[in-house]
Amino acid sequence: MIKSLIFRRFWLWKNRLVPSIFLFFLLPFFCFTMISLPLKNIIGLSLAGDSYDVWNFHGLIFLIGSISLFPIIYRDFFDLRIHKKVLINITLSPHSKLKLILNSLIISIMESVLVSIISCLVFISFIPLNFDYIKLIFMFICLVMYLFIIGNLYITISLIMDSLFLVTVVNTMLMIYIIFGIGFVIEFPFFPQGIEQFLKLIPISFPFQIFQQYKSNGLIDFSMLSIIIILIYLWSLLNSKLLKFRLQQ
Amino acid sequence: MEASITLKKVGKLIGDKTILAGLSFGVERGSLVAIVGMNDSGKSILLKLLSGYENPNYGQVFIHGLDMHKRRNETRKIIGYVPHENDLDPWLTLEQNIRFNANLFSVSEKKIKQRLNDYSTALNIKPYLNEFALKVSNGIQKKAMLIRGLIHNPGILILDEPTGYMDAESIRLTWDLLKKLKGEKSIIYVSNSLTEIEQAHDRILVFHEGRIIMDGHLDMLLKSTINYHQFQVEFEHLEDELYKKLKSIPTVVSPKKIDNIFHFYGRTRTVFFDVIKLASDKMMIDLNVKKLNLKDLLDSEFSGKSLE
Repeated sequence: MIKSLIFRRFWLWKNRLVPSIFLFFLLPFFCFTMISLPLKNIIGLSLAGDSYDVWNFHGLIFLIGSISLFPIIYRDFFDLRIHKKVLINITLSPHSKLKLILNSLIISIMESVLVSIISCLVFISFIPLNFDYIKLIFMFICLVMYLFIIGNLYITISLIMDSLFLVTVVNTMLMIYIIFGIGFVIEFPFFPQGIEQFLKLIPISFPFQIFQQYKSNGLIDFSMLSIIIILIYLWSLLNSKLLKFRLQQ
Repeated sequence: MEASITLKKVGKLIGDKTILAGLSFGVERGSLVAIVGMNDSGKSILLKLLSGYENPNYGQVFIHGLDMHKRRNETRKIIGYVPHENDLDPWLTLEQNIRFNANLFSVSEKKIKQRLNDYSTALNIKPYLNEFALKVSNGIQKKAMLIRGLIHNPGILILDEPTGYMDAESIRLTWDLLKKLKGEKSIIYVSNSLTEIEQAHDRILVFHEGRIIMDGHLDMLLKSTINYHQFQVEFEHLEDELYKKLKSIPTVVSPKKIDNIFHFYGRTRTVFFDVIKLASDKMMIDLNVKKLNLKDLLDSEFSGKSLE
């Protein structure tokens, strides 16, 4: 199944090659100009004393991953489902719904990671970074875990709702949360204490918290890591049941 | 003959409404079965249940002897389904759409190439294979959907309006292909084209309010249900007195007076001569005798009253 989904994404890319490549190169510049540059003038330095654009580099990569993942999942699980295209045909193939959810996530995440790597290369060209390859690799591991969680959330929203209005409103709110509430562009201590504690407890932010902790003291929080892995599996299972329920299969 | 599909007391409810009510029937391997009925009679829902698109609320569906609910992955390999609405990915070409499905069913590249070539030649859509689905007509998309449904070589083909949106030539090509596949595959289809059904079936299932009210070959159904001829005699003047006289002939069934036309049914052509004999002194303008067809059969059933 995964082979067919890879080919499908490849064909979709190939069929819209120029606009896709243009957007994926534009995206990092856009995020940097709209988020990093103004906040650098407001915040200046991170709480640890790093220059804001250097601190914000990893957050921007996570953010770009989230943005590039959204249209792939939205298309497959909302747009094509609502318009009764392809999705039902895929579910009639001899594969379980869990396999479909996991494989779709894997393919979408591969594409998002690719976009994140491109963004990483773009940022490196103008942000004065001190490169630590181990940290960079660990960042991508955390990014993959984060994308699995946020991807599952996108799938749940796309499957639960049938109205374009509701999906747009909910996803806009979600985007605001992703930009400001996970710690990608604003550190948690900038929020009032109660909200800071609450935001830290939301599992979506766990992978970025694990990465930030590793970046600052070199320690990996394995308990949080285990929670993430269990959460990813359970959420994918839940989404497979939801898909089955929504398609009445 | 071995059963291809067996339904045991299958029922489907949507909300409180019963769409299918305890259906039980079997389809023989290699047969061509047409399903006909009024809108909302449950035909498309039945196809959805057979294809695994939806689940029944109760009862069992067996595909080549395998319980569809318990052996889902195995039964899905046996079925090819073509829905009524066009459901191709609009941003993939027709060939990519077909190949995507072939990959989902793990069909080898050699077989994909061979089947794609054979079916696209048979349906004459080779020139369109590299066009985006959203840029070709609905009829061409429907043909691509048929190839997509056939690409994994299923034993059962389930088609909802197989020639929907197609022009006359495409309809002919599609039926030529389907008739060639009959015998090798069981084909079950729903169509609103009665002419199409009359020409292509081993068996017709007539659906009404979630139940099968007739089941068999058209000739058999007409013979057992309404083995009638339809007659029309147009007079210069059809007076009430003459109409009453003609109406009273015992073998005349469902007589009607439409202006100066005497319209009636009869089991044998001899009825016609009885009428002519009785009205021989009146001026007749036109005569018309017609053997009843599927439309008449359905009209008589769905009007709520049989001819008798």
